[in-house]
Amino acid sequence: MDARKLLRPPMEIRYREELEALKASDSGKKPENWQLSPRAVRTFILGSSAPIAYRGGSLLVEKKYFGNDALVERCIITLAGNRGLMLVGEPGTAKTMLSELLTAAISGVSTNTIQGTAGTTEDMIKYSWNYALLLAKGPGRDALVPSPLYTGMEQGILTRFEEITRTPAEVQDSLISVLSDKVLNVPELGDDGILFARPGFNVIGTANTRDKGVNEMSSALKRRFNFETVAPVREVALEKQIIVNEVRSLAAESHIDMPVDEDVAELLASTYHELREGVSSLGHRIDSPGAVMSTAEAVSVYYQTMIGGYYYGDGRMDVEELVRNLVGALSKESREDLGKLKGYFDTVVRDKASKEGGLWKPYYEARKWLK
Amino acid sequence: METILRSQEMAEIKLLPVRHHSPACALQVRRMIEAWRPHAVLIEGPDTADSLIPAMLHSHTKAPFAVYYSYDDTEGAVSREREKYRCYYPFLDYSPELAALRAGSALGAQVAFIDLPYGDILAASREGKGMRQEGEQSNYNDDYLLSRSAYFQLLCEKTGLRSFDEFWEKYFELEGLSQDGETWFRNLLTYCRQARESTPFEQLTEEGCLAREAYMVKKILETAERLAQTRGEEAQEAGSRILAVTGGFHTPALAGRLREAGREAEYLPKKQVGAKDQGVYLMPYSMEAADALNGYASGMPFPGFYQKIWEFVQEEAEEPEPYGRAVLDMIVATGRAVRRKEGSISAYDEICACSMARGLAALRGKPQPGAYELQDAALSCFVKGEYNLATDEPMRLLRGEMTGRRVGELCGDAGEPPLLQDFRAQCRRFGLQTASTLESESTLSVFSKKRHRQISMFFHRLLFLQAPYARRVKGPNLQTGRDRNLMREVWKYKWSAQVMAALIDASVYGGSVEEAARALAGERLERAVYARDGALLLTQVMEMGLTGELSPVYGRLSGLLMSDADFYSLADALGSLGLVEQLWRLYGSDRNVRELMIVCIRRLLGLLPGMARIKDEDMARCMEAVKRLYQAVGRLEDEETLRDSYFQALQAMDRDGGIQAGVHGCIHGILYGGGRESAERILQVCRGYLTGTKDQLMKTALFFRGLFFGAKDLVFVGDAFLRMLDEFLARIDEGDFLRLLPELHMAFTYFTPAETDRIARTAAELHGGNVSAMHELKAVPEEWYLYGRRLERFALEEING
Repeated sequence: MDARKLLRPPMEIRYREELEALKASDSGKKPENWQLSPRAVRTFILGSSAPIAYRGGSLLVEKKYFGNDALVERCIITLAGNRGLMLVGEPGTAKTMLSELLTAAISGVSTNTIQGTAGTTEDMIKYSWNYALLLAKGPGRDALVPSPLYTGMEQGILTRFEEITRTPAEVQDSLISVLSDKVLNVPELGDDGILFARPGFNVIGTANTRDKGVNEMSSALKRRFNFETVAPVREVALEKQIIVNEVRSLAAESHIDMPVDEDVAELLASTYHELREGVSSLGHRIDSPGAVMSTAEAVSVYYQTMIGGYYYGDGRMDVEELVRNLVGALSKESREDLGKLKGYFDTVVRDKASKEGGLWKPYYEARKWLK
Repeated sequence: METILRSQEMAEIKLLPVRHHSPACALQVRRMIEAWRPHAVLIEGPDTADSLIPAMLHSHTKAPFAVYYSYDDTEGAVSREREKYRCYYPFLDYSPELAALRAGSALGAQVAFIDLPYGDILAASREGKGMRQEGEQSNYNDDYLLSRSAYFQLLCEKTGLRSFDEFWEKYFELEGLSQDGETWFRNLLTYCRQARESTPFEQLTEEGCLAREAYMVKKILETAERLAQTRGEEAQEAGSRILAVTGGFHTPALAGRLREAGREAEYLPKKQVGAKDQGVYLMPYSMEAADALNGYASGMPFPGFYQKIWEFVQEEAEEPEPYGRAVLDMIVATGRAVRRKEGSISAYDEICACSMARGLAALRGKPQPGAYELQDAALSCFVKGEYNLATDEPMRLLRGEMTGRRVGELCGDAGEPPLLQDFRAQCRRFGLQTASTLESESTLSVFSKKRHRQISMFFHRLLFLQAPYARRVKGPNLQTGRDRNLMREVWKYKWSAQVMAALIDASVYGGSVEEAARALAGERLERAVYARDGALLLTQVMEMGLTGELSPVYGRLSGLLMSDADFYSLADALGSLGLVEQLWRLYGSDRNVRELMIVCIRRLLGLLPGMARIKDEDMARCMEAVKRLYQAVGRLEDEETLRDSYFQALQAMDRDGGIQAGVHGCIHGILYGGGRESAERILQVCRGYLTGTKDQLMKTALFFRGLFFGAKDLVFVGDAFLRMLDEFLARIDEGDFLRLLPELHMAFTYFTPAETDRIARTAAELHGGNVSAMHELKAVPEEWYLYGRRLERFALEEING
């Protein structure tokens, strides 16, 4: 596959070189069917402190997940064990990205994925049939359409289950016996119908705790998972770094030849951080909006502004455009949030414009777009 | 480790760097002492504690205990404020200092402390620095010196570890168990030297480090000389061996000083502070208090966890994996604790947690899982669902296990501060038990029996000193003003080690319970900012029966009353003062507070006219204050002028056009009650609201509430007020009525049920009905409504064709 022709290449293609380099230099013990040792997986996600040898040269593994290193370590160890891994947290906290990175590093593929929706049924989780073949040949392995879970068990690789809480609770529960017995029974296949999971198989689920319309998980299913709560980034500097990194790679993917303005990224990171925490760096108390204030949202606001500036503008970040996009991102849930954003501009941004100056000034002047 | 040979004193001196509360450190220190067999073991710590060493080593004394140091700055050596200071030096079984004391004394070596006395350390430190840092509880330990520089933050980042404590555990605890002493101390010293080098010189001076180190060097050299003299010829041949155990931060400096001796004098304090002001006692301590994460950073966290490690390495058959075993124990104990609280953690969860801890240790390159792997494992395997307040119980229980619950004990002859002796003497005098830890009850007729009043005073004083000995279960409460009708107090009391700890803690305030309570009350008053707090304290002083020498207290309170500009605080103060004024004879107090009350009233009268335009939410407080003021001026019989100025202030408020409606009603009620206004005038004001604009009309409800609060009997003077109220209700529509309903409810709560009945009767008569007929009204049956709806729909259809 040519990575340049994909809208969003999967992690194993995007970071192919890093994975190959790590594999070549990996001397640690590996759980069976893992592509890399736990330590190399950690390095892949959290970055290497020194360059590693690769095809005669060397290569520095970049840090891909920011925030909580211990959490990544716990995830890796959980996946090497007997239980599934469940990543929970607010939307936009990079749960999906983390699960993709983990599967790409451990199994070499991150696309073996069940995408949970309210319409997910049990056969999408276990297996279904190609009815033409079923009618022609009767029930057999040829006619069976394996689900990602089936594939994971058969090949000994990880299966990702995205947005597990969007699927109805009774459908989620079809995972219970598979996760504890590591066996899937296909009664239609008769004696050949028992699929034993190969080593290396496990499930990574992601679940959202904040959105509307999520289902509860049964405690029986909960028992079969280790839970990791992914929290939003709590440091402005780190959040700015994430925005810069993400926007840079998004821009590269879309061939937008425009440098990332770090000052704007910092402005946006501060805004999101302060609105989320409810207190500004100068000490103002702020009403937090009900809408999701995730770093991913901040990235998208930045990126939108960037596209606008690239195609319609003069190739620079326009602060007014940024404020308009911010309004768009914040007024998804209710009009009240816009009032809170206004309040933020009238207090914090005003004071910062007069005390710190810089970009805060045009930012404050752009408040006319808050309507 | 630094070894220094001093030919002059024919002594070999070894300096061991340590970190407080570290099992590996304690183990290495013990091994070193047993192998090297020194003649003297010197420990960092104020040398005033030397007298406590026998009690610390007594077989009946059980760790954790703490040395309590106090210093009463009567000379003003520390600061002009002449404050009282205290600090603790906690010891756990695995504290290297205690291990050194124990091992040294087992060998028959001299053991002693070598640091400056506490008062002198304070005098050598700048305000807000070192041991004079503002904190909840000050601590003698100075481990923070090792972990605060930017160098160690970088080191943590580089090694991928979260904190200094995790760094320490990995490189010094886990790896330290298997290392030989030489290597271990060498590594630690390298580390400490880095910490020392990245600390600026001014900081060392400001924190008193240089003075302390100079003193320690002096003590080490004195010990060497004394050993040379007492050992005589023996020392000539073989030399004396001296081991000094100090915080790692000081070791490199001590070594430097010892090598170039003679210069220590330049940093020594010129003059030492008086010994009579320095107190030093042993007190039982708890692991909870010793846990670094409970408020102040010193020593290692998780004493319960590391106590286990220490116990395992003590076992005769050497435990190959003490950490692995402790982690397993903690996981099992947490699982059990969660199940006891109706959580659902299965044995399988525990198995998963164990393998998680081991897996993490392997991934992080640690030989065994430590405290951080234990926490991570529990977080992953025990917390089901999103980690938040609702699901974090397993983590809280684990934290409790890791902190530990052990409370120390002291041997009989540990020495007690005079305050504690006075406490025991009083208990004997009153026949209160201090031997059993069972709770007893005592009912005291405080106003009729002198002895009972004395016991009550004693209990109140202890309560004030925060010694958890007695608690009042029944009786008048002068602080909240509740149960004032009660003539007896019921107390429950019980002895515990915490009482002892609290009294030792308070011993800096004085030698007897009464003296300490008085000094603490004085200090509290000194710190009070609001008159409210000062007056409340006065009620406590009265309960405690503190008499004599209270003039400064009254003076200070009078100052507070003069300076406080908060109307509500002054009003609260007036409430407390009023109580004291009423009860001072009953409580046997020797001083009236009438003068203070008058000061307070004058201040309130000055502020009163400004209280007209308050916010609605402050209405209740304001009305309460106005009424309290009315009662107070009424009680002072011969103060006619005060009464006049009170009513003048009310009239001034009345003239304010923007006055809040509730307060407006209230002052009219009071003016009427005081005979300064006729009912007609009030009716006139009321009509003003009724006939005003819509907003003003809506405020009538508030006005009524204020009016009834001030003088509810107005309602029963003829029926003019009820007619007025009736008219008001007729003027507003249903929506507004519903909006005002809560306010109206509040207005009528000032009446008794009989009075509301009477009002209802009058109201019913106004409309030509009678009350009994109203009671007999039947509910409209549901079918009627349904029928009505059908009828309406039918009519609509007919009309619309």
